[in-house]
Amino acid sequence: MFKILLINGLIIGGIYALIALGYSLIYRASGLMTFAQGDMITLGAYLGLTFFRIMHLPFFISFLLTFICAFLVGVLLERGVIRALLDKNVIPIYIVLATIAVSYIIQNSMQAVFGTTTLRFPQVFGVSTLTIFGITAQTEAYACLLISLALMLMLHLFMTKTIFGIAMHGAAMDPMAAESCGINSSLTTGITWGLAAAIASIAGMLLGPMYGVYSTLGSVIGRKGFAGAVIGGYGHIYGAMIGGIILGLIETFVAGYWTGTYKNLIAYAVLILFLFIKPTGIFNEQAIHDV
Amino acid sequence: MLETNKVTIRFGGLIAVNEVSIRVQPNKITALIGPNGAGKTTLFNCISGVYKPTSGEVLLDGRHLEGRRGFQINEAGITRTYQVINLFWKMSVLENVLVGMNSRLKSNFWDSLFSTKKKREEEQRIHKKAYELLQFVGLEEYADAPAASLSYGKQRLLEIVRGLASEPQIILLDEPAAGMNTTEKAELDILLKKIIDMGVTILIVEHDMKLIMNVSNYIYVLSNGKLLAEGLPNEIQQNPDVIAAYLGGDD
Amino acid sequence: MESIKKQNKLPTIVGLAILLCVMPFLVKIVVGNQYPLLIMCIILIYIMAVTGLDILFGYSGQISLGHAAFFTVGAYTTGLLNIYFGLPLYLTIPAGAILSALLGALLAYPASKLKFHFLSLATVAFGEITYYFLYTSPGGFTRDYKGINVVGISFLGEDYLRWYFFLLAFVVLILIGKISLINSRVGRAFLAIRENTHAADGMGINVRKHKIIAFTVSAFLTGLAGALYVHLIKYISPETSMQKQSVLFLTMLLFGGTASILGTILGVASIEVLMECIRPLQEYQMLLYGILLLVVIVALPGGLNGGIKNLVSNRRRKKAMKELEIAAQAEAEARKDGDE
Repeated sequence: MFKILLINGLIIGGIYALIALGYSLIYRASGLMTFAQGDMITLGAYLGLTFFRIMHLPFFISFLLTFICAFLVGVLLERGVIRALLDKNVIPIYIVLATIAVSYIIQNSMQAVFGTTTLRFPQVFGVSTLTIFGITAQTEAYACLLISLALMLMLHLFMTKTIFGIAMHGAAMDPMAAESCGINSSLTTGITWGLAAAIASIAGMLLGPMYGVYSTLGSVIGRKGFAGAVIGGYGHIYGAMIGGIILGLIETFVAGYWTGTYKNLIAYAVLILFLFIKPTGIFNEQAIHDV
Repeated sequence: MLETNKVTIRFGGLIAVNEVSIRVQPNKITALIGPNGAGKTTLFNCISGVYKPTSGEVLLDGRHLEGRRGFQINEAGITRTYQVINLFWKMSVLENVLVGMNSRLKSNFWDSLFSTKKKREEEQRIHKKAYELLQFVGLEEYADAPAASLSYGKQRLLEIVRGLASEPQIILLDEPAAGMNTTEKAELDILLKKIIDMGVTILIVEHDMKLIMNVSNYIYVLSNGKLLAEGLPNEIQQNPDVIAAYLGGDD
Repeated sequence: MESIKKQNKLPTIVGLAILLCVMPFLVKIVVGNQYPLLIMCIILIYIMAVTGLDILFGYSGQISLGHAAFFTVGAYTTGLLNIYFGLPLYLTIPAGAILSALLGALLAYPASKLKFHFLSLATVAFGEITYYFLYTSPGGFTRDYKGINVVGISFLGEDYLRWYFFLLAFVVLILIGKISLINSRVGRAFLAIRENTHAADGMGINVRKHKIIAFTVSAFLTGLAGALYVHLIKYISPETSMQKQSVLFLTMLLFGGTASILGTILGVASIEVLMECIRPLQEYQMLLYGILLLVVIVALPGGLNGGIKNLVSNRRRKKAMKELEIAAQAEAEARKDGDE
């Protein structure tokens, strides 16, 4: 029982980590909160489905294309909507509402294009289940865990080893200082939003094979993912990864040992508890942009 | 009156204020001067309740104020202005002053909600008083304008008069002359004396030496968080340590 | 800010009052059925709810993205008290408002420490927890996803015309209370907290206490609105506490303009009417709503009320400029004559 819960907790934890990463990346870069991440997940699932099932492209190619498309959507969101509002100097609540509006638009568009029935992801791997360390689970589930860990590792390498990643990280910490070093911080902000969307879309592509694809696939899990970001310290990149995994573990274990009826409530209970008791999270992240 | 006893304020490894003891004389103007970063505003923040001192005491007429919250200190009779102007920008000039009176008003929530006789009479009274306070500094024609629309010098005046609205024992003025031109500074000089005539005590932080020497009754000099010297204006002017600390002087 | 000088606004108020009283009759005659009247009743209820949100956000600056929870709690409280204990509605409706207020006070205490974005998350979490609690209640006492069917108010019956005036009385009383509160020490304290929390503290305002008061009053009003709503519609389900209802309230508030009486009324009325227009296009409702929201945010950041104020001040400024021009011309003329 424990081992099953552990694996499941890690799997969903990996997803939460990717979602929380998106939130913390954006907060670090722009000091803003976005409610559109959940729908980027849904978008990713639908895009992946389109490329893989409808266009019959190989899985890896579909993966890559989804990543790129979602990336572009993220950049478009930042440049088109967020930047426009920031330039107008609107009060912060409007930007939050704008991301909610975008989320409604994406959600409904997906519904309009693909309909309301849950679509099935065709089997990706040859075998449908795998048994590792005596625990049997869907192959897709194990792949999900592997890919989310790989993605986090790649992001870490990107931000610490590549020049561009370092530049992005620096621009996020202090745009003015970065600019004086010749870094175009508005460019890196756009790319950060794009990256966040792309990461979320991968989460969607990983969820799709496990849960099927429907228009609200991402929204609940995206909202719950806030807890992962807060646990680690909102805005702390590595905190988001760890926070997400912790969230997944807490949710799975509490649901497994105590009660499954309130499963969805757990994440929000954790969120509100952390906000009231330790809002700076595990890594003690001070709010960068005070209102 | 107001005194601090060996107040130390430490931020992690940094000691911003180091065992500073000052005594503010009633109904006089006491000045706190020193080079930038000496810890003057930090000390102010401590007195007005923004920071809790790491050690030491802040006493008002013998009552311990250290560690109390900002609004409690206002209720005790100490009010202040800020280095960076902290007005209620979208509220009108008159409303800013009305807010300043908040801690002296007697209407409670239910009076406010049901517009009881008590509340209506109080509102009439305080509107009149607020207007008179604006007249005191010559801002009455701007009463209904948003605070943000005033010129910089007038904004500073508004902050001062907002502070006076709560009928304090002491007002702490944090660089009130910053950004003022010569005419405005001359008017400020007169205003400070008028405030003393009202019966209010002043503790002032300033960089403008001419103004300080003109108005102060007693001066404390802070440098690197420590009290460097204290005394009458002409003593301070001739004190070699003070001159050395300023090296080239401010203003 | 809105310090309404009643003297020179009297004709407007009288005119508005007449309009409000005559309108429902006209509507009933012109349209023939009661449906538009029902919408007008819902508009009145939402005005109450959004006034609550305005006290919280428009005045004390605390954002809530979960306000629908208070609305729904008020509704469920009155409904369940009536169903399970047979208590009369004149007790259960206030009970709904009071329970909602208590919940608000409870939430406000820890929430008052939080900064903007984190407060928004806390309210989202609160809203979601309320939803899931109602959806899978212990022992099913809320009837879970099925929702509950509730009686109407007997002396009002099915007559939406009567409901309209009944609700109008509530709205008028609440708005009078709001005006009174605004022009008082407490109201100014709220605004000060919104404008500059640090300075408010320095001016002797107990920020935490006032934030809790604002939250409590806000929850009370929104809860009351919910309690009246459930007896009008005679049904409530957990869906009403979902985030999209909270977003709707916020949209209405921002569209009309915060911290203003007229703004709340205009905002609620226009958004509700717009939503009714979109309703037939079932599938695209969210899409259109999202687009509408974006358009509003980009085009009218001050809300309708802000737009109106701008219009009025622009006209005043043009008039003043014109007068200055005329005066300058006259002076020039006089000087010319003097020279000759």
